[in-house]
Amino acid sequence: MDSITYAPATGALSSMWLLVAIPALSATVLLLLGRRADKWGHWLGVASVLASFVLGVTYFLQLRGIDGTGNKSLSVDLFEFIHIGDLNVSVGLLFDPLTAVFVLLITGVGFLIHLYAVGYMSHDPGRRRFFAYFNLFVAAMLLLVLGDNYVMLYAGWEGVGLASYLLISFWSDRPAAATAGKKAFLINRVGDVGFALAIFLMFATFGTTNYADVFNGVLASEAGQTVSAGVLLAMGLLLLLGACGKSGQFPLQTWLPDAMEGPTPVSALIHAATMVTAGVYMIARSQVIFNANETAQTVVVSIGALTLLIGCVIGCAKDGIKRVLAYSTVSQIGYMFLAVGLGGGAYALGIIHLLAHGFFKAGLFLGAGSVMHGMKDQEDIRRFGGLWKYMRITWATFGLGYLAIIGIPPLSGFFTKDPIILAAFNREGWTGWLFGSAALLGAGLTAFYMTRLFVLTFHGRPRWQKEGEGGAHAASATDAHGAHADAHGAAIARTEDGRDIQHPHESPWIMTVPLMLLAVGSVAAGWLMSTSVVDWLTPVFGEHEEGHAHLTHTQVTIATVAVTVLGVALGYLLFRGGTSLVEQPARTHLVRAARNNLYADRFNELVFELPGRLLTRALVWVDNRGVDGIVNGLAAAFGGGSGRLRRLQTGYVRTYALSILSGAFLIVAALLAVRLG
Amino acid sequence: MTPDYYLILAAVLFTIGAVGVLVRRNAIVVFMCVELMLNAANLTLVTFARINGSLDGQIMAFFVMVVAAAEVVIGLAIIMSIFRSRRSASVDDANLLKY
Amino acid sequence: MNDIQLPAIDYAALLPMLIVFGAACVGILVEAFAPRGWRFVIQVSLTIGGLVAGLVAIIVNRDLEITTIGGAVTVDGPGLFLQGAIIILGIVSLGLIAERRLERGGPFVAEAAHAANSDGDKRQEREPGATEVFPLTLFAIAGMMLFCVSGDLLTMFVALEVFSLPLYLLCGLARRRRLISQEAALKYFLLGAFASAFFLYGVALLYGYAGTVSLTGIREGVLQSEQSGILLAAGLALLAIGLLFKAAAVPFHVWTPDVYQGAPTPVTALMAACTKAAAFGGLLRVFNVAFETTAWDWQPVLATVAILTMVVGSILAVAQTDIKRLLAYSSVANAGYLLVGVVSLNGAVGSSLFYLIAYGFSVLGAFAMVTLVRDSEGEATHLSRWAGLGKGSPLFSALFTFLMLGFAGIPLTSGFTSKFALFSSAWDSDQSVLVIVGVLSSVVLAFPYLKVVVLLWLNPPGEETPTVSVPSMLTRAVIFAGVAVTFVLGVAPSFLLDIVADAGPFLAK
Repeated sequence: MDSITYAPATGALSSMWLLVAIPALSATVLLLLGRRADKWGHWLGVASVLASFVLGVTYFLQLRGIDGTGNKSLSVDLFEFIHIGDLNVSVGLLFDPLTAVFVLLITGVGFLIHLYAVGYMSHDPGRRRFFAYFNLFVAAMLLLVLGDNYVMLYAGWEGVGLASYLLISFWSDRPAAATAGKKAFLINRVGDVGFALAIFLMFATFGTTNYADVFNGVLASEAGQTVSAGVLLAMGLLLLLGACGKSGQFPLQTWLPDAMEGPTPVSALIHAATMVTAGVYMIARSQVIFNANETAQTVVVSIGALTLLIGCVIGCAKDGIKRVLAYSTVSQIGYMFLAVGLGGGAYALGIIHLLAHGFFKAGLFLGAGSVMHGMKDQEDIRRFGGLWKYMRITWATFGLGYLAIIGIPPLSGFFTKDPIILAAFNREGWTGWLFGSAALLGAGLTAFYMTRLFVLTFHGRPRWQKEGEGGAHAASATDAHGAHADAHGAAIARTEDGRDIQHPHESPWIMTVPLMLLAVGSVAAGWLMSTSVVDWLTPVFGEHEEGHAHLTHTQVTIATVAVTVLGVALGYLLFRGGTSLVEQPARTHLVRAARNNLYADRFNELVFELPGRLLTRALVWVDNRGVDGIVNGLAAAFGGGSGRLRRLQTGYVRTYALSILSGAFLIVAALLAVRLG
Repeated sequence: MTPDYYLILAAVLFTIGAVGVLVRRNAIVVFMCVELMLNAANLTLVTFARINGSLDGQIMAFFVMVVAAAEVVIGLAIIMSIFRSRRSASVDDANLLKY
Repeated sequence: MNDIQLPAIDYAALLPMLIVFGAACVGILVEAFAPRGWRFVIQVSLTIGGLVAGLVAIIVNRDLEITTIGGAVTVDGPGLFLQGAIIILGIVSLGLIAERRLERGGPFVAEAAHAANSDGDKRQEREPGATEVFPLTLFAIAGMMLFCVSGDLLTMFVALEVFSLPLYLLCGLARRRRLISQEAALKYFLLGAFASAFFLYGVALLYGYAGTVSLTGIREGVLQSEQSGILLAAGLALLAIGLLFKAAAVPFHVWTPDVYQGAPTPVTALMAACTKAAAFGGLLRVFNVAFETTAWDWQPVLATVAILTMVVGSILAVAQTDIKRLLAYSSVANAGYLLVGVVSLNGAVGSSLFYLIAYGFSVLGAFAMVTLVRDSEGEATHLSRWAGLGKGSPLFSALFTFLMLGFAGIPLTSGFTSKFALFSSAWDSDQSVLVIVGVLSSVVLAFPYLKVVVLLWLNPPGEETPTVSVPSMLTRAVIFAGVAVTFVLGVAPSFLLDIVADAGPFLAK
């Protein structure tokens, strides 16, 4: 690859700092004005993200206007940030095709989620503060993708971590939320350590942290062997550690599902538009470093494959609607890691899957939020069922997102996931078969657990009624307000009889409109992305020819669709009659009603489910006890160690003098030993 | 008599002072032990001045004495004030600040 | 004694210190002769005037590089920078010392001679506080300034005592909670005297080894001396102990939490900002000038101390329940980061100086905000009392949150830039292990800060939430300075980094 240069930005693009500044300013205003802004604060938050989106589109069009041979990487140097000795870090921004697609995703999907949150948070007294954090989140994420050096990337990186912490523990009166926020921050900090050390290593090796200079240094060292392979490997692995933390990859994935404790729009923003995509962005951005080191690439691919399977299998075992979606994010990001780890042409595949995922995952999360909004914050899918009659818009949009994530043609997931599986199969050597099979198996499992989620939530017998209240009531409820997206009517019904869980209702327009737009994205985006976006990203990742092939495209497509259909069929057959895993003693007559099904399903259970369930349990156990255990154990160890060490501070002067004297003795002894030894 | 013995004596005095700080409870005595350590250092300075044949060490000893005198003034003031409040000069009684 | 000649004295180089010492002496006279009602105004203007004049003299001297009074004082780039830093931080902390609106009569007791809780003590509660604190502060600041430019170890010892003795006294002068204030003074005094005895004994041994106590003389003596290496090693170790005590390095940090908690908060702020700068100025000078050539001997030992300090400081901060103790342990951990700079020798002098300024302003701001949270008993420093303050006092909580994030090293604050600059220069000086430990410990240390943030915003208020008092312009100015510098150095640190780069290395000739 030729050396990398960034052209100075001209015209409108020279003001690209506005992209970050607008949401950041809005966040500041919202925080500083305090309650004075309670009435209109949320609209300011929405408007600022919309403004960023409009700007992003303008910049995108300008970048597209540059003809084929021109340099499409435009940078602008704002001012010198840190200058000490040889180290020189400037605040500089970079707008290239990769950044452009991220900016559009972050601001576009971010805007829809902001809009949705206006409705979702309408009853929350802290709505203004919520939007301030939300804007902060978007601003940090934009800084992350716009920076032209690793220190800027790190700044955005930390900002995202901070904002996510504030948002996840937003409902801090719930202890679970506070714990989850802390956990997210802790695990992210573990990743950040890796990233920070990678930056120091870069600085020590290349004397700079600018993308262009670092990458050119790597390219030059490839030619001249000036930098040892070990250093490049260490750099790659440290970056990867950071990426794993932020993107919820093995072994740092456990914070992501716990992050569900925040309000649902937060989950959507974290999972779809910001935060988790940061790791993928970082690896894609550092492609030169990873290309230079095959071992690092193999580690990325392995982590991706492992994580996507872990995510799928655990997704099968969870009952919370948001938790299942969270694990599906873990596994989808696994696909992206797999793709960017494969290198070459697969970088672009990872990015387009990320974009498609941004749409359908946002849609799914917001849909889940809409379901919970109508069900009084119930999130156990075993207590849903038959909801399609009551919230048709949610049902339809969620359904499209569901079809997109499992990769049914012609929805977006098909166009983006399929090529990744193909690319995995076509990796050289036996590893290609291994990673390809993992990806294929993942596709089948995804189809299975997503079908389970969809069927249990929207179809089958309603399992949310109280004893003695039958279908008649539900039917009348349908007449009253089920088919219409009429929140007003639902609210009246709620106040009249006070039994709101008996009256699932559709959400107001401000929540359903984003759902519809995102559904359109899930449907239409796939084909568009698999062609034009891949071309668009060529200046960043370079041209790649199809080399080695184990399987052809057609073979893989057929296999994938077959596995997916199998997963859907299995999921539908097992769960169409409701769940057989009834564990709620309160609903005894339902249990009895489900018994028949249970007998019928026993054969299925023994043959298909039992081994699967054992595996699932084992993985869940590892997830909870192993990884989680280590994290919690470490936190407890620090807390406990701190508590115990504290006791050494006895308050007696003479104890302190003893500490000083023994320290003095040790230092004298050590120095004498060094001197004479 | 070689000057080395003075150095050893000074080291012994310094150690006695340091151990005294650890084992004595009365704040005044603790403080006197610190003074003993300072004087051990003085003795070392003077001995080395003798060994090196220069006056610097002796002059330094005077400086140290002046500083130590100032320290006594401050120290006794602090010990007095805490004694008046607590009616006790034991350093173990001053134990409100801990953990 | 004809062979003793008066050494040449360059008064211009000494001018900043002479001004501050002079102002302190005039302050004593004011105490003796000025009428009681006038003293406060005179002292405040005299103190601030003296410090500003000293600062001006430093700025005039900025390019000076000279050794004067027979080698007792070495004025060089880093020395002048440290002097300037101490004066500026001193001026800022003076805002807290002179504050008289938060508490009637100020934070200091009127007559310390009254026993705590006696009748006389109760009678003096409404009287204006002692104005002796101003000359005492000036003496402490002047001592610190001398400490940073000492050319020989004797001057350093005298300077150490000159700045320590007033601080011991200041610690015991709190108006409220006099018992713990006196206890802090006693502990600080006894342990400080204990540590300075080690320092002095180290000086004596080094004198025996090199035949001189001047730093450059020791540097040369290391190469030529015929004395036993035991003297050098033991002397260096004992000297280091005295310095590490002031710097609050583990295991010599034991006094820090108790004294920080017990001392009047303005004095704690002064110690956290200025004493830290002075102690590290001394450490940097001693190790860079006198012992640079023996670096292989002491670097592993000092690196171990640095690791211990970072780890113990950050872990102990986790379980603290008092905000002043929490900041004390964070000050211990920050001493560990600065020690990384000391171990890295010349490569990291500039970034250590930068760190001292950045940390000093943040910590001044933080302690200034601690003085605002009050109930009828005075300051409410227990963390449980801070729960839910964000609801009633959003501005206070937002600013405090910002400072906490700065301590945690979040980008766009000086905490990030200073750590980044320090660690990258240390990495460049091949101290990668220390950097790794530093980054890890800063992760742990982020927790206590975050705990405070959560407490402020997310926890429900307790039964009796203390109020956030409205201070006078002085404390407001301190808070503003702390927050503003934390932000400015986080966003545009290059101007200060240029200044520390221009300061160059320590003068070693």
